[in-house]
Amino acid sequence: MSTDGDDAFHIGRSRDDPEAFAEIFRRHAPDLKRYVTRRLGADTAEDVVAETFLAAFRQRHRYDPARPSARPWLFGIATNLIGRHVRTEVRQLRILRRTGADPVAEPFTDRSDDRISARADGHRIAAALAAMPRGHRDALLLFAWGELSYVQIAEALDVRVGTVRSRISRARRRLRKELGESEDSRHRAIVHEEPVHD
Amino acid sequence: MTEISRLREFRSEVPETLGLRAEEAALRAAIAGEGEAIAPRRRFRSRVRFRTVAVAALGTAAVAATAVASLTVIADEAPGGAAPAVVHTMPVAHVRFLQQAADKAGEYPELHPKPGQFLVFESQMMNTSEDNSAEGHARYLYRMRRTMWMPVEGGPTRAVLRTTTLPPRPWPGWPIPDSARAGVGETTTEKAADFDDRAEWSRTDYAYLSRLPTTPEGMYAHLYTNLGTGPRADAQAWQNLGGMLTEAYMPAAQRAALFRAAAAISGVRTVDEATDAAGRTGVAVALDVPGSGVRTEYIFDRRTYRYLGERGVVTDPARAGAPAGTVLTATAQLDVQVADAPPEVP
Repeated sequence: MSTDGDDAFHIGRSRDDPEAFAEIFRRHAPDLKRYVTRRLGADTAEDVVAETFLAAFRQRHRYDPARPSARPWLFGIATNLIGRHVRTEVRQLRILRRTGADPVAEPFTDRSDDRISARADGHRIAAALAAMPRGHRDALLLFAWGELSYVQIAEALDVRVGTVRSRISRARRRLRKELGESEDSRHRAIVHEEPVHD
Repeated sequence: MTEISRLREFRSEVPETLGLRAEEAALRAAIAGEGEAIAPRRRFRSRVRFRTVAVAALGTAAVAATAVASLTVIADEAPGGAAPAVVHTMPVAHVRFLQQAADKAGEYPELHPKPGQFLVFESQMMNTSEDNSAEGHARYLYRMRRTMWMPVEGGPTRAVLRTTTLPPRPWPGWPIPDSARAGVGETTTEKAADFDDRAEWSRTDYAYLSRLPTTPEGMYAHLYTNLGTGPRADAQAWQNLGGMLTEAYMPAAQRAALFRAAAAISGVRTVDEATDAAGRTGVAVALDVPGSGVRTEYIFDRRTYRYLGERGVVTDPARAGAPAGTVLTATAQLDVQVADAPPEVP
């Protein structure tokens, strides 16, 4: 344990001294905010993040002190809350798929023309994310955006590691297929348009 | 480039650091509210209500609540900074019901009381009463008809209350003491309150209620003034709601906002059939009052969504001291009118 204490230490302390919980917020709120914002957009994210920390604060007595990092716990609570906005999430993904404009990322894109390339296959990724079962999307995004390990994802979602593994592998397959198709078509287009010199 | 690295690029425009002011404020409020005892709200009318001795414990004066699941969301920006920025998610039934009540709020003929006038509330009530006397301990349910003349602006010290005592009902398992029957049929007219020590935000006179926010978010913040978060705060907010419904009247816009805000209080559910103190049945929205074994229900007409009354129903016999399902407190709001002046107080 470092001198500052790990998360479990501060959560333990917060049982008698609620103020100590502020440290958990300081450590995890920025990452969590970005994660939830990427999934739901800025407005809803504010609500979800606030509620996540309120729920965590209220449930701090039940926190398992054997778990040094609170990250999986917090991302788990947030995932549950995100689940209540699943229609919003999917609707926004579908808008992106259909129109190419992303209601979630758009507000942040003003000065980032250099990101355009990153968004080139956005509609494909959106299509894949929108189409996959919620549990798969949760696991995949906790892995790719939340940067949780499989074990931590299992902890966050309260499922077995094997379940996480199979969800992520199926989600990746779906994503690959979607992106692959787009690549294939792009390849074909290139082949057709470019003169071939032997 | 693997699909994972492409996924990591997806929406990477979202910056690493985002504002967290509202979230932090919400948490700070919860942390601050944790140790803070929530003062039970004194209702001025309890002076008459509990004319015998003690109690006040069940139903009305008690404090509390629970938490639940999903549909709509009210985010509250907490004007004044006191109330927390909270999101509550809600189960479908009571949300739909209260939204319909809100939609209908503007359909009744509106009263337009003027400054200096009085709102006159006709109601029937039943409350718990406990007697400790030389004859021993007694519990029973005290009933009355009441007419309350409330000034359009200002506290209840200028209000006049006329009560007619109705025959008492037994507390299950307890005999009705003779003293309970003594005043039955008598009518008294008196000042409603000698003092009003309520905080400004718990005022329920028309002028004050008319100035409240007309948005659900604003009204929600108002219900949670100084309350923090958590089940006890929810329960107190629920009681605050009752104070704004019973012997209180507000313009339709505020009423609609109030019902929408009520839908966001954590732990609320619906009770399909509830009967008010006058025997009228309707649909109730209810919240459990932890620690008391009683749930507080606000009853609405099934068709018109007009507010009928409130009641307290036993959910935990051990705590409440009465069988589950027993109605220990009830009100019926029978009529609301405008008058220029209250009657003379003898």
